[in-house]
Amino acid sequence: MSPFRSKLFQSVLVLAGTFLVFRFGIQPPAPWSVITLYMGVVLLALLVYVSSDGDSWQAFLAPLRALLVDDSLMPIRVAAMIVLPLCLGYYAYTQAAATAEAPPELRAVHPAPPASISFRGKTVDIQGLDNPLRKDASNLKKHAAEGGVIYIKNCMYCHGDNLDGAGHFAHAFNPPPANFTDPGTIAMLQEAYLFWRIAKGGPGLPKESTPWNSVMPAWEDRLGEEEIWKVILYLYDATGYQPRRWEEGGEHKHSAQPSPVRLAGLPGAALLTPRAAEAQPAGDAAQGKAVYERKCMLCHGEKGDGAGPGAPLLDPRPRDFTKGKFKIRTSVSGQVPTAADLFRIISEGMPGTSMPGWKVLPERDRWSLVAYLKTFAPDAFKETPKLAVLPKEVASSKESLARGKEMFEAIECNKCHGAGGRGDGPSAPELKDDWEQPVRAANLTKPWNFRGGSGTRDVATRLATGLMGTPMPTFMDSVEKPEDIWHVANYVTSLGQDKPAFATILTVRSASGPIPDDPAAPFWAQQPAADFPLAGQVIVDPRNFNPSIDMVTVRAVYTDAEIAFHLTWDDPTKSAPDAKAKTFADQVALQFAARPAEGNERPYVLMGDGSNPAYLLRWASDAGVGEANASGLGKLTPQMGEAVQAKGMAVFADGQYRLVIKRPRVTRDLGDPEFLAGRFLSVSFMAWDGGAGETESKMSFSSWYYLRLEEPGSTQPYVIPPLVILVTVALELAVVRRARRRAQGA
Amino acid sequence: MMRHWTVALCALGLAAALVWAGSTPVTAQGAGSIVGEVKFSGTPPAAKMVKVNKDTQVCGSDKPSEELVVGANKGIKNAVVSLAGAKGPAPKPAQKPALDQKGCQFTPHVIVVPAGAEVDILNSDGILHNIHTFSSANAAINKAQPKFKKVMTEKFDKPEIVKVQCDVHGWMQGWIVVGAHASYAVSDDSGAFKLDNVPPGKHKVEVWHESLGKLSQEVEVKAGAPTKVTFELAKK
Repeated sequence: MSPFRSKLFQSVLVLAGTFLVFRFGIQPPAPWSVITLYMGVVLLALLVYVSSDGDSWQAFLAPLRALLVDDSLMPIRVAAMIVLPLCLGYYAYTQAAATAEAPPELRAVHPAPPASISFRGKTVDIQGLDNPLRKDASNLKKHAAEGGVIYIKNCMYCHGDNLDGAGHFAHAFNPPPANFTDPGTIAMLQEAYLFWRIAKGGPGLPKESTPWNSVMPAWEDRLGEEEIWKVILYLYDATGYQPRRWEEGGEHKHSAQPSPVRLAGLPGAALLTPRAAEAQPAGDAAQGKAVYERKCMLCHGEKGDGAGPGAPLLDPRPRDFTKGKFKIRTSVSGQVPTAADLFRIISEGMPGTSMPGWKVLPERDRWSLVAYLKTFAPDAFKETPKLAVLPKEVASSKESLARGKEMFEAIECNKCHGAGGRGDGPSAPELKDDWEQPVRAANLTKPWNFRGGSGTRDVATRLATGLMGTPMPTFMDSVEKPEDIWHVANYVTSLGQDKPAFATILTVRSASGPIPDDPAAPFWAQQPAADFPLAGQVIVDPRNFNPSIDMVTVRAVYTDAEIAFHLTWDDPTKSAPDAKAKTFADQVALQFAARPAEGNERPYVLMGDGSNPAYLLRWASDAGVGEANASGLGKLTPQMGEAVQAKGMAVFADGQYRLVIKRPRVTRDLGDPEFLAGRFLSVSFMAWDGGAGETESKMSFSSWYYLRLEEPGSTQPYVIPPLVILVTVALELAVVRRARRRAQGA
Repeated sequence: MMRHWTVALCALGLAAALVWAGSTPVTAQGAGSIVGEVKFSGTPPAAKMVKVNKDTQVCGSDKPSEELVVGANKGIKNAVVSLAGAKGPAPKPAQKPALDQKGCQFTPHVIVVPAGAEVDILNSDGILHNIHTFSSANAAINKAQPKFKKVMTEKFDKPEIVKVQCDVHGWMQGWIVVGAHASYAVSDDSGAFKLDNVPPGKHKVEVWHESLGKLSQEVEVKAGAPTKVTFELAKK
């Protein structure tokens, strides 16, 4: 009999086929729970189908029965009897050893707006409200343009130049900033709704939206009524969406929408391959000008001099195109970049800066931008740039890394980048670019921030060509042997991890015996580490648009009596308060909810508020470890004397702090949170680089994360799976025996 | 016979007197020269000190800035005096001009090179420096010069005043004056300078100083005799 006529084979085929459809055919991917449910339904339908009459059922069972009794199928039977228990045992293991998952955060995405709000003491009726600026049709464009300027100075950090919620601070926040280009956001809402959300921000969210988890500020503190309406005009103008309109009787209806620009990467534009570079179309400068004025001008300025309204708050500053000096090039030092170089930066953006990738623009538009950028420095671009020719690539190896280190020291990369590569060299604090703006030496241990890409070839190219307009010189002819460029590049790319290991839960491991106080103790290196991103605090004055510290790495352990946190963060300078030099103490703080949370509710992420205070475990370079209670930024009460039970110490080396801070899990102070095992608690982080003038509200901070003290070593993963295997084998033997007996009996 | 001797002796004496007066033998037929001083107008400020906070074993300790050096009698060092509109290409210098980095200072602080000339950039310090130029007519340079790179050669094609700095040692600053012609002079410690081979007639003489700016004067140069000019530069 052909296997295709076997009912069993057909059923397996149908199951496999439907699984593939569910798993890969649905976009975006369906969750596993849904797929399991669907598969259950399909299985049920199949069983109904094959058991619809007796013959069909027998035909379905026949191969199975044969497997159990047929002597000729003995090897397959034995194999199946071994494989099945092992599979079930493995499944049992994955279930028993599963790590805890954060509790689901259920929140209403678009909570119902209130009927009216109080805006700076004035009552504004939200219900039925329209954007008053729309009545002034003749000035609509002007107002939208002014809204753009407000947007670039205030909103862009999180919501992004592209309005896609991917600003350079966005990755540090949960929930993520709203993506206005998504048809599910502003296109579905009335302008009055936006007014409410902008005016009242995260602190004004109703309870069903888990207050305080959103870092959206209440902009009524900073922007006037008309300014908010202008920004709203800009949002619709820039995305091409139409706001939803109020209808008679309070109901609302979707207005006709233009088809939104989807943000998925355009096929073939992911990376400029050499072939694409050969086939580069000549962009049209006039067309480029139109795109530039829509997308680039707010930062790079109308004249291309890098002095747009958004520029003063950005570091690094937006490029001044008029000088013909560009950092990321494949051309030799002293020359302008190639068209392909410019195209690549426009498309990919510059990691670690506010320059996003512009793949949202059609490829043709990006080439037109290239053509237009050249018109800002026509003399410089007159000649075709000469390409830097790198020696033959040398793959990384132990020898290459050793030579790279030797050369790194011989050519004194440490002068700016520091011995460990963390941008903390002796010359680093005084570096200025050709525009006399202070510039930071790259932290070579964070390749994800390398402006021109983190690949070894990228690094070698930067070494060979230098970064024009910055202190970074070319080393093309300034290494001992040409191939040393590759050895140094290999060494540089070996200095840090490839990418940060961002976590959503800080797991505190159970430890036996004393926890070492010394942050450099080998004990700490053995603990698993979790990275947490930090972003600049731009809500309360003074704001920190260009934070020095963008990440903390955390390890945590506990014993019966104590809990201890080990924090690692990069800071280019070890600083102390100095009024003359305008430096302050370096600081770091761990923030917790002072009271146990109800559901997902947490204190306002910037040190809580009056109704929901925060508790801080902190350290400062001039005051050491301490504890504090806070009910908002600037409303911080340090604990004094006997109340302080936290202890710890910090070490600083090669541009990096390591700190151990520990505390009894339960303190004498009733206001301090307790650290109970197995519970989901909340934690967030704050850091200050005093050497960069950071103090008080000028800081970097993280969103709230979960913190959980892992219950001490469960034996479940080692007991349950063997049990499952034993039971399965026993059942198998029983079934086979019964089947064989029956067969003999028949 | 006797008359001949007298004339010859007189001529010799005159020549000797001219040499003694400090002017070089007149080469061009009937050319004159300009001698003078660049002086600080008013009370000169106390010399600024640069903070040497790295590589002190090579760079030494804090030292006076070379940004403005005022000597005895208020003479300003390192001012560049030139004849505006002088003709003809600059002659090839007998020796290749060299700019040294010694004790973490550019030596000389101001160097005049003819356009199109190559300049040897030396690193006598044996530590990393970088040659970072600020120019608009010539291509900008930013090249690393590690300890083992003793000499680098750079060419400056277009007349321009080029600032040179080292980013590793932020206080290091020097100037390369790329000259269009031969009539340039750099004032010495006492602020004195001398321009030779100036054709007789009316001329505009310019002075440039890195922190005091530019000034110019009209002078009348007589054949075979030095013309005296004094520039008074004030703080901007």
